[in-house]
Amino acid sequence: MKRSATVAFLVVVSAFIVCQDGQAPIYAASSAQAQSADVHAGDNAGAKVYEDNCAVCHGEKMEGKLPDFPPLTSIRKQLSPQQIAGLVRQGKGRMPAFSNTDLPEDQLTALLHYIDTSQTTMTATAGASTAHSSALSESGGSLFQQNCAFCHGRQADGGETGPDLTHSKLVAEDAGGDKIGEVVRNGRPEKKMPRFNFSEQEMDGLVAFIHTQAAKAAAMKGHRRGVDVTDLQTGDVAAGKRYFNGIGKCISCHAPNGDLSGIASRYTGLELERRMLYPEDAKSKVTVTLPSGEKVTGTLAYLDEFTVAMRDASGTYRSWSLQNVKYSVDSPVNAHVDLFGKYTDADIHNLMAYLQTLR
Amino acid sequence: MKLLRNALVFVACAATFNVVLPDVLVAQNIDTIKLVQPAKDSWPSYHGDYSGRRHSHLTQITPQNVGNLSLAWVFQTEQNAQIKSSPLLIDGILYFTVPDNLWAIDARSGHQIWHYVYPPNKGDHIGQRGVAVYKDWVFFMGPDAHMVSLNAKDGKVRWNIAVADVNKGYWTTMAPLIVGNHVIVGVGGDMDNLPGFLKAIDPETGATQWEWDATPPTGTPNTATGGMTWIPGTYDPDLNLIYWGTGNPTPVLTGKPRPGDNLYTCSIVAINPDTGKLAWAFQPSPHDTHDWDAVEIPVLVDGVFNGKPRKMLMQASRNGYFFVLDRTNGESLLTVPYGPVNWTLGVDKKGQPIPNPEKEPARDGRLIAPDEGGLTNYRSPSFDPKTGLFLVDAHPSYSIYFAKPEDGDYGWAGADYGLWGKGVLDAIDYQTGKIRWSHELGPGGSGAGVLTTDSGVTFTGDAHGNVLALDTSNGKTLWHAGSGASMQSSPITYELDGRQYVVMGSGGVLFAWALPQDTVASERQGPSTK
Repeated sequence: MKRSATVAFLVVVSAFIVCQDGQAPIYAASSAQAQSADVHAGDNAGAKVYEDNCAVCHGEKMEGKLPDFPPLTSIRKQLSPQQIAGLVRQGKGRMPAFSNTDLPEDQLTALLHYIDTSQTTMTATAGASTAHSSALSESGGSLFQQNCAFCHGRQADGGETGPDLTHSKLVAEDAGGDKIGEVVRNGRPEKKMPRFNFSEQEMDGLVAFIHTQAAKAAAMKGHRRGVDVTDLQTGDVAAGKRYFNGIGKCISCHAPNGDLSGIASRYTGLELERRMLYPEDAKSKVTVTLPSGEKVTGTLAYLDEFTVAMRDASGTYRSWSLQNVKYSVDSPVNAHVDLFGKYTDADIHNLMAYLQTLR
Repeated sequence: MKLLRNALVFVACAATFNVVLPDVLVAQNIDTIKLVQPAKDSWPSYHGDYSGRRHSHLTQITPQNVGNLSLAWVFQTEQNAQIKSSPLLIDGILYFTVPDNLWAIDARSGHQIWHYVYPPNKGDHIGQRGVAVYKDWVFFMGPDAHMVSLNAKDGKVRWNIAVADVNKGYWTTMAPLIVGNHVIVGVGGDMDNLPGFLKAIDPETGATQWEWDATPPTGTPNTATGGMTWIPGTYDPDLNLIYWGTGNPTPVLTGKPRPGDNLYTCSIVAINPDTGKLAWAFQPSPHDTHDWDAVEIPVLVDGVFNGKPRKMLMQASRNGYFFVLDRTNGESLLTVPYGPVNWTLGVDKKGQPIPNPEKEPARDGRLIAPDEGGLTNYRSPSFDPKTGLFLVDAHPSYSIYFAKPEDGDYGWAGADYGLWGKGVLDAIDYQTGKIRWSHELGPGGSGAGVLTTDSGVTFTGDAHGNVLALDTSNGKTLWHAGSGASMQSSPITYELDGRQYVVMGSGGVLFAWALPQDTVASERQGPSTK
């Protein structure tokens, strides 16, 4: 215990040394000047106190450094100025205590004022617990606009590249952020969605905002935006069946009574159509020929121009440098790619009509 | 063979920018000279020079020795944001960014000199593509459409001005372009029906010198808004024209409320940098309904086309077409797709694609190639003068586009879903548009920009996060290293203390590659030293 206090002390001291060296981030001093319209007079002092004492752990913008150091951007939602003052004076966990000598009363006051004026969200609604959920959604909305809206749209109903979250199955199945949180924290690298290190509070706000938007969208009923099942009913079943069995050659890989049996019960609407056009989760088979001549077959797990990897029948991950082995990949899903250049839009709508009969 | 080589040398020489400084320049200070003719120990603007070719004359790293390339240093931003900026190198210091963050780091060692953090703000944090430097001042755009001028020495803020209103829905991500005594900057913002514009800002005072609007004001009946200007253009000092791409019209996916071509959205515009007056415009996507900004780099090349010396402008556009224009007047020399494209009825007399009305987004969906991210996007292509190849990170792809009256006529106004795509580095012969070689970059797409050098090496990245060095003549891989994340920016190169560095960002990490010191020493002493 004592040791960790020493470590914390050393961190603070070394931070000071770094500051003296002139290498410290210079957000506080310069930003206050830069944002003169938004920042109240007197914050220069608080900003300086923050920069000198707090920024090393809680970040220059109070963004925190998770998982070790919490962000302070919404701290006023949790703590009153008195509670923050208490925490600063007494310390907590690995946070050192700052005595009156470390931090004279006027400096503490300036710091508290600075923290107050730097809250990214809703200081006005903090403490008003009755307004909690809408305030939460509001703060999440602000975070959403900065970080998510470009791809998912202002109202979370879709934008550049990112799907409409108000129609999302994952959002519908989410309970209190259990599913949304996972996606946000881990990202979806295969779909180019970055991961975000939001604090628990921020995540709560984000989740609340997304659910609020989904509820709003659902309430629009007849004027519903996005893609509804009813929008995708312009095709002709018989023509779709002819395409399936004829020039589409779907029948050469798929069977209406086999793998596609009940497909329209498992998937509907846009999800069904997207799967029909390109099933993203389709697996490829790879056969690797080792220098010994031995052949190993498994599910393709990774392939670039230097490395090939598979999961073999036992589920074990194995990889080889391509300098050492030969390989061949069997990707039946490529037949879907070949069709992209051949479909008319009517072909797609007809095929969709036919697939919807396979319940 | 010799004849061919001579012809290529001619092209290479012609393609190199004027040896003698033109006298039409407004301000002929040392900074302008540095920008027009960058020294080998500098990368003083977003593209490295005004031509946008992202081609370097450095030759220390060659196809023969690039296999020895090793890490000189890395810099960890410790931010979640991906590096999308192209660093600048001035007097041994690199300046680069992610949203809200600007670093000055030592180009020899990668250690931090200073770090500026922009205050919390409401702007869209989609990306930050770098800064501009003029004299001793750095110009940095906040997400909230503000321009900040900082002292290059210590990062202290000199002034901060709004170039657009964040509350209306504008944001900024770009590296401004310095021309004479103008800091030229564009904006982003297509979630609202807002006109895009370019502004020239006085580098000393922050005052607006001129503004050029891409569209009529919001609310003008039967017209589009949009035409955002979010990627730095290029500049021809001889003609004294800047060339800039403009973005898609708004509402984005619904074309009905905005009949016609929607000028000057999805356009390449030539503008006088001193007055802001339009000289000519060419429209890669008339009446766009697929979000295909035409902001991709307008690359300036002087060379032979159909046997005649030409001042050309080349763009591999997001809509899937490769355009070659005469940049003196905007006339089309070549329009040809460089990947799957299914949205046109052909090409008109002006060389502009004719959009197929049947391929506008519809209630029951339309299959569209390429997808919304386009056949390429903002990361820079490169033009290699020796081979006459235009190298572009291409993204063959398909998607479905939807729109219906319920989507309204504001902002996005529709929905689209990517189905499939992959990454390919395409080497386009600029005289024919034929693809001379392709290098597969992996599923989904790469997103990495491209850099070529006089020694015949091409640097880029693949979809898996590998950094690649390729042979420019045939696209064969010469060297690679896994960087842990896909590259979302465009590489740069420079020479310091006789050592050539190649710098690129992957994820939140900046990598500097160089030959090992002993190799550098022997290369410099050897007979092949230039």
